[in-house]
Amino acid sequence: MKSRVAVTGLGLVTPIGAGREAAWEGLLAGRCGFAPVESFDTRAFSVHLGAEVRGFDPAPWVRRQDPAALGRASLLAIAAARQALEDAGLAPEAVAPERAGVAMGTTSGEPREVERFDDRYLAGELDRVGPEFIGLYPCHMIAAHVARELGFAGVNTMIPTACAAGNYAIAHAVDVLRAGRADVMLAGGADAFSRITYTGFARLGAIAPERCQPFDRHRKGMIPGEGAAVLVLEPLDRARARGARIYAELAGYGLSCDAHHMTAAHPEGNGAARAMERALADAGAAPGEVSYISAHGTGTPTNDRLETLAVKRVFGAAARRTPMSSIKSMIGHTMGAASAIEAAVCALAVALDRIPPTMNLEEPEEDLDFVPNAARDHRVLLAMNNAYAFGGNNASVILRKHEA
Amino acid sequence: MPITSHPSDRRRVVITGAGCLSCLADSSAGLHAALCAGRSGLKPIELFPTESIGCHQAGEIRPFDAQSYLPDRNLRPIDRTSRLLLVAAGQALVGSGWTAEAVVEREVGLVLGTTFCSVRTIAEFDRRALQLGPSHASPLDFANSVINAAAGQTAIWYGLRGLNSTISAGAASGLAAFGYAVDQIRGGRAAALLAGGVEELCFESFFGHYQAGRLCGSRGGKEADDGELPIPFDARRNGFALAEGAALVTLEDAAAAAERGAPVLGEVLGHGSGFDPLGTEESAVGAVARAVRLALEDAGLGAGDVDALSAGANGSVDGDPWEAKGVAAALGARAADLPVTAIKSMLGEALGASGALQVVALLGTFGDGVLPGIPGLERTDEGFPLPGARPAAQRVEVRRALATALSADGHAWAVVLGAAGQS
Repeated sequence: MKSRVAVTGLGLVTPIGAGREAAWEGLLAGRCGFAPVESFDTRAFSVHLGAEVRGFDPAPWVRRQDPAALGRASLLAIAAARQALEDAGLAPEAVAPERAGVAMGTTSGEPREVERFDDRYLAGELDRVGPEFIGLYPCHMIAAHVARELGFAGVNTMIPTACAAGNYAIAHAVDVLRAGRADVMLAGGADAFSRITYTGFARLGAIAPERCQPFDRHRKGMIPGEGAAVLVLEPLDRARARGARIYAELAGYGLSCDAHHMTAAHPEGNGAARAMERALADAGAAPGEVSYISAHGTGTPTNDRLETLAVKRVFGAAARRTPMSSIKSMIGHTMGAASAIEAAVCALAVALDRIPPTMNLEEPEEDLDFVPNAARDHRVLLAMNNAYAFGGNNASVILRKHEA
Repeated sequence: MPITSHPSDRRRVVITGAGCLSCLADSSAGLHAALCAGRSGLKPIELFPTESIGCHQAGEIRPFDAQSYLPDRNLRPIDRTSRLLLVAAGQALVGSGWTAEAVVEREVGLVLGTTFCSVRTIAEFDRRALQLGPSHASPLDFANSVINAAAGQTAIWYGLRGLNSTISAGAASGLAAFGYAVDQIRGGRAAALLAGGVEELCFESFFGHYQAGRLCGSRGGKEADDGELPIPFDARRNGFALAEGAALVTLEDAAAAAERGAPVLGEVLGHGSGFDPLGTEESAVGAVARAVRLALEDAGLGAGDVDALSAGANGSVDGDPWEAKGVAAALGARAADLPVTAIKSMLGEALGASGALQVVALLGTFGDGVLPGIPGLERTDEGFPLPGARPAAQRVEVRRALATALSADGHAWAVVLGAAGQS
């Protein structure tokens, strides 16, 4: 018998609001967070929109470290982590430090640090590179900074599996808890808005010029974003014993690799299907029991077509009656944070029986229920969160309603 | 402690193959022989100019003709990090007797430790776009700019369709990847996984580490005027020599490995980790001690069961003694006569690859009972708690060995290995 894992706290920093309530209300209202990029000059690009986190003030969250001395992804992550702990009703001091761990995912780590290095390189000012480049740039500093902020001395893992990284980090935290290696895990993902990422996706023709329209026949791409989300995960018996509010149980996960192409998914959705099947097996659930699918749904022509194909393969006849939406239609693609934010949204959907919509959906390409343009009341017993990444890394996570 | 699965009733994880590429040798047998002979792989850097830098040596892999190892395939879309990893992965798979078809059919996976993947690829992609405009940025380079690129490229090359994860924890990445992979096999999520690490030597990393005062001979060293002295545990140490490398082993469920008649080179008996959130000696020593205690507990062993230690010490002024004190705190009286090696004296600090190189080197020690020395070790700090650290190779019967690592940023990891047929 596997030990059960509870989700007891949620922290989110998104392009449409920070904090669990602001982000959730924004998503239910269909609010979109797209605006001309401010982080860098986009005049040389043919696209200009981004989903940046505007007006973010790290000061209330980053208390034990100097916010000016940390990278942006770390700041976003710390804000989400502190929110999540507060939401869980856990004071950092109330947890034995050596039994408290952190698992975070990311695509780029702290890309702005290497971008600053490159600016100095090209300006012939490398002598201005100080200790901060190596001190801040390595991606593992995100998890390290979160742990330093909270004094957590247990398991500390950074999993940079690109756009599926949040799900990977959550999956790892489940294993850590099931193996008894920690009493509480903060798990999630963080990414900062990045010139490198924007350049790359623009070069691939994957950025939409005006809006993000997952699953629409006329979709033109994704909109890069930034953000962070952290979930507090605890063994279910511990959570119950301390009387914690339980959003959902983290029921299982599945990982796979396409082993096909670095940036294109397998043409028949093989890897995505295997990840979903493994997650269902781990959770001991049949496809027909899934009440909501949180899609990867980037809004690129290829992703959405292959994801739909894979869902149909796994779910068969149940595919058409299972609501599936993409919140990337509102908050863009927040990279390594994306599947962590989506997992937090799944926990809320399971807890509150509401499903956020796929916005900007006018002509669905497929005959699935994409929850178009309006949130829906719907009993959610089991939610599946899908994420796919460069390198063919696929991860599906399943959350189950907790019956007290 | 609530470790739910007891050593006696859970899946055992054996090592059935090993591959590595380092500045010393391009095979695991060659690595062990060179380490036992006390040869250093550190040399003046030729990969990039170092005139503007006050530090010139590194563990560069030279010559490295990737095509000679990987014939008949197009290497153009593959960067240096991934090429290094492809070579090590091929050796590990062949050594463990996996055919190309079986790798695909049985869904072998990969768990990779790395710090940067390729910060050179990332930075060159960015600089090209800045200089020539975003439309001149290379899509191939962008694909390789993600930190899981090497793991993805290797999966594509060998058809690794099982779980595929990348773990970053600085110099502890390789051991962290082992721990992750072992738990996946114990949990029944994979029957066979390649596990280990990779790191390439490049200007961006070398210059960054130099400016951070972490390299031997870079500012902030103890006796910087003495030149570059990356001698682990020596009182004169003044930082580490940066290096590159790739090392992977094939980890398999012992029953599945026996069923297919696979060779067994050793066994992973346990692993544990800790983190130092404060950056102080007390906190770092505590993290290392916890990692070792948890690893032994996970293995169901006591301090007296450990026959040798491969330390991650690399010449760092603070990190080396903190690691030693942490290990000693966990092992108690056993620390006083435990044979100890620190192979970064010869290999340099290969970051993500380091822990995996330590593990691969220990497999050689299991084979012939020779533990490499720490060349150049003359005198240790006063009160140094691991007197079994010696400059020359030692002959020891090693049935169980400990590998440890403490990253510069506070990640402590320990892995307990057993010789084949010893548990």
